[in-house]
Amino acid sequence: MESSSSTDDKPKSRRPKDTRFKQQKLPAWQPIMTAGTVLPAFVAIGVVFIPLGVALLITSNSVQEIVVDYTLEDCRPSGQNISRNYSTCAAFLEQNVGQICNCVIEFTLDSDFLGDVYMYYGLTNFYQNHRRYVRSRDDEQLLGMYKPTANSLNGDCAPYRGFYNSSIPGDAGIPYAPCGAIANSLFNDTLTISLVNGSTVNGSTTHPVTLINTGIAWSTDVNSKFKNPDSFAGTLPPPYWSKPVDQLDPNSNKTNNGYENEDLIVWMRTAALPTFRKLYRRISRTGQFAQGLPAGTYQLQISYAYPVTPFGGKKQMILTTTSWLGGKNPFLGIAYIVVGSISILIGVTFFVVHLKWGHRPIDVIHDINRRTAY
Amino acid sequence: MSVIVRMPDGTIKLMIKGADTVIYDRLEGDQPFKDITIQHLTDFANLGLRTLCVAVTTIAPDFYDDWKELYFRASTSIQNREKKLEEAAELIERNLQLLGATAIEDRLQDGVIETISNLAKAEIKTWILTGDKQETAVNIGYSCKLFTQSMVLLIINETDIDSTRECLTRHVNEFGEHLRKENEVGLVIDGQTLNFALSYDCCQDFLDVAMSCKGVICCRVSPLQKTEIVNLIRYRVHAISLAIGDGANDVGMIQAAHVGVGISGVEGLQAACASDYSIAQFQYLNKLLFVHGAWSYHRLTKLILYSFYKNICLHLIEFWFAILSGFSGQVLFERWTLGFYNVLFTAAPPFALGLFDRWCSAEAMLRFPVLYKSSQNSEFFNIRIFWLWCLNSVFHSILLFWLVVLALEQDVAFEDGKIGDYLFLGNMVYTYVIVVVCIKAGFEMNAWTWVCHVAIWGSIVFWFVFFTVYCHLWPTIDQAPEMVGMDVNVFGCGIFWIGLFLIPLTTLLRDVMWKVLHRIMFKSIHEEVQELEMKHEDPAKMVIKATRKRLTETARLLKNVFTRSTNRMQEVQSEMQPRGYAFSQEEHGVVLQSELIRAYDTTVEKPEGL
Repeated sequence: MESSSSTDDKPKSRRPKDTRFKQQKLPAWQPIMTAGTVLPAFVAIGVVFIPLGVALLITSNSVQEIVVDYTLEDCRPSGQNISRNYSTCAAFLEQNVGQICNCVIEFTLDSDFLGDVYMYYGLTNFYQNHRRYVRSRDDEQLLGMYKPTANSLNGDCAPYRGFYNSSIPGDAGIPYAPCGAIANSLFNDTLTISLVNGSTVNGSTTHPVTLINTGIAWSTDVNSKFKNPDSFAGTLPPPYWSKPVDQLDPNSNKTNNGYENEDLIVWMRTAALPTFRKLYRRISRTGQFAQGLPAGTYQLQISYAYPVTPFGGKKQMILTTTSWLGGKNPFLGIAYIVVGSISILIGVTFFVVHLKWGHRPIDVIHDINRRTAY
Repeated sequence: MSVIVRMPDGTIKLMIKGADTVIYDRLEGDQPFKDITIQHLTDFANLGLRTLCVAVTTIAPDFYDDWKELYFRASTSIQNREKKLEEAAELIERNLQLLGATAIEDRLQDGVIETISNLAKAEIKTWILTGDKQETAVNIGYSCKLFTQSMVLLIINETDIDSTRECLTRHVNEFGEHLRKENEVGLVIDGQTLNFALSYDCCQDFLDVAMSCKGVICCRVSPLQKTEIVNLIRYRVHAISLAIGDGANDVGMIQAAHVGVGISGVEGLQAACASDYSIAQFQYLNKLLFVHGAWSYHRLTKLILYSFYKNICLHLIEFWFAILSGFSGQVLFERWTLGFYNVLFTAAPPFALGLFDRWCSAEAMLRFPVLYKSSQNSEFFNIRIFWLWCLNSVFHSILLFWLVVLALEQDVAFEDGKIGDYLFLGNMVYTYVIVVVCIKAGFEMNAWTWVCHVAIWGSIVFWFVFFTVYCHLWPTIDQAPEMVGMDVNVFGCGIFWIGLFLIPLTTLLRDVMWKVLHRIMFKSIHEEVQELEMKHEDPAKMVIKATRKRLTETARLLKNVFTRSTNRMQEVQSEMQPRGYAFSQEEHGVVLQSELIRAYDTTVEKPEGL
């Protein structure tokens, strides 16, 4: 009784599988860019982009902005003893590093700044995007991790890691809080503005504008990147700072002090370009500024402490409203209009070219055969 | 070739097979079937069959006894054995009665004729190098249409170097100004002459003559000579050579050529093992060359150019940023996003380009071998094209960086007045770069399969997903603290989305413009084929018209020139041509035919065939 099942299978075939994937027969869409398909697309792009660009341009133009440069001549010291010897705060600061010079500048808003108004300080020729500068921070320290000695800080913070006592050999150093060049170069001018009623000569009254110094940094930074440690004992402020980190904001207790001070957080977000501005304050919409900043003359009170002339930089105070696109920048609107126009131009030009010269070789041969006499 | 047999009834018969000329010379008087047999032979020859005549005669016994002795003495003689044997055979092979003619179809493999004619259409020169006899080789040349009846055949059979050199020089002069051009001429040369022709002073002439011919057959070549010929072509002509063979004697030439193809099968696997590509039948060479070879060329060119393009595009942006960052070397992007650029985000498009892109459909490539020409002339990858792509890459990087910088010059990027930082700018630029680079890969592909879609859109989506995940790693995982909060802010920024709409489009506008312009004004033949296929029209007429060559007047002129030459062998050939004699069995081979015949017992019943 033989078993019915065969013991030898068919010899295994070495033929490759005939699937579409393995035999390169996948169905495909061929994007053939013939004149007929692409030219209408060009025109359509133009038709869509130009109105969009116009809308963006209008949005940008609706944003109002004023820039007040107070680096040199405009900022004349108001204190008698300083103004005797120095004509500008800048000159004073060059000779007296670390001191403060107060001055007042008047500026005018030609039209009402309606809506939320934001105050920025701007710097030029300041390379916050320098490679060594960008690295010079310790994120763990800023998150509140306990760093007992200067040496326990991130090595990139050097030379602003801590204070080393040269008389003690092998000194681990007292850490700077916060360490690093970014923190060390924190912007420390104080700017306030007031609305002036009446002329200054006849005893005008100034209405100071209430400024809010929170809500200026990225919420993600405030929530997850910067946390105060339990105590700042055993730390020193960085060399260029005049007050320790937990007293950056005298008006608040703990919420806006220490590493969680939003001015510090804003400053630690290193800017992309050498000319930049950083959000300083938000105008509080209270009292007569409920609608925004009305047109008129304003006074800018400056505590000039930040030296920029040694590196040829400039300082500015900027007031601006915003739109959903941000600040006043007509570039995107103009770009859309330009690209849209180019697109339509290309579409039309190619259409003409296609009509005149777009003969296929087969047509050319046909033409020759028809026209030649022999 | 004859056998002498004793029939069962005692008579002795001589049966002979051979060429018709030889048999007819020895026929006895008037035969009833002479003329009709000649007619049959001509018919067979026209069909491309190999013919033989068969005849018989009766030998008288006493004559046979005398002859036997004479033959014995001839076969055992020490000097001039061959000549004496021939003389003995001459004595007995006489007064034959013609029986008829036989014809054998020398079956070439399937599809050989089409393959060779396709190779000719693609302007690939084909040479046959064989160990067979000259007649056989020439027959094969005719039957596979390498030679046509209208072609002039140059046959070179010389026995020493001087006559070879003289013959070659004469041919070179006869070609005159048609040297190295397309001529309707074929060359046949045998191994012995090749020894001299490949020597240093003759090889240039030989090459000139061979390159002026449409097809070349070298017969009776040894494996070493096959290798030498391939090397000659490879290093002197600087053409790309492909050698295809199926036996161990082809291994040398397969390895010497640029591309070696081995046919695996009947003769074993030696050729297949030594080759770059092995196929099972000769006709598969068609698809190997015209479909896969051409596709591979286009894919590789696109792949290489694209890889340079995408890397130059991204890394040049670092340079533009350096201008704004005091040349301090600050990188605009975070280090791992930068590191994963080639590994994760733009890895799929090169795969799709290099594995699945189809420049022209397989059917079109097989039907129109002329499309293959574009891959022979470095049309798609040369210095000029490479630098154009690099230039394009520079242009793209300029647009991608500077447009974003101008858009973000204000720093104020949000409605709530907040500002961005350098990484904010960097991530926006990076996203646009990935979008542009992936879509550019799409433009370079001619066939969007599902793989391509996945590669392009999948890469872009993957970047978005990765970005979102990566920005939430710190501080749980000690990685990328500077990216915290980036995703929320970048995706929540109006400028980013407006820019996503505008900037990739602006960057790729020029590329699209160029492609359309090219199609309108400088449409190439394969683009025509693509368009006609899309419209479901047959491209055949267009292709034929576009590639029609005027009949070469030169071919007719040359025919007149060469028929004046007095090469005797050629005349003999042309007489033999119409009646197709050629038999491939070795006359003086290793196994004598006499041994072969006596090798098996005719009285035993033959087994039933398969």
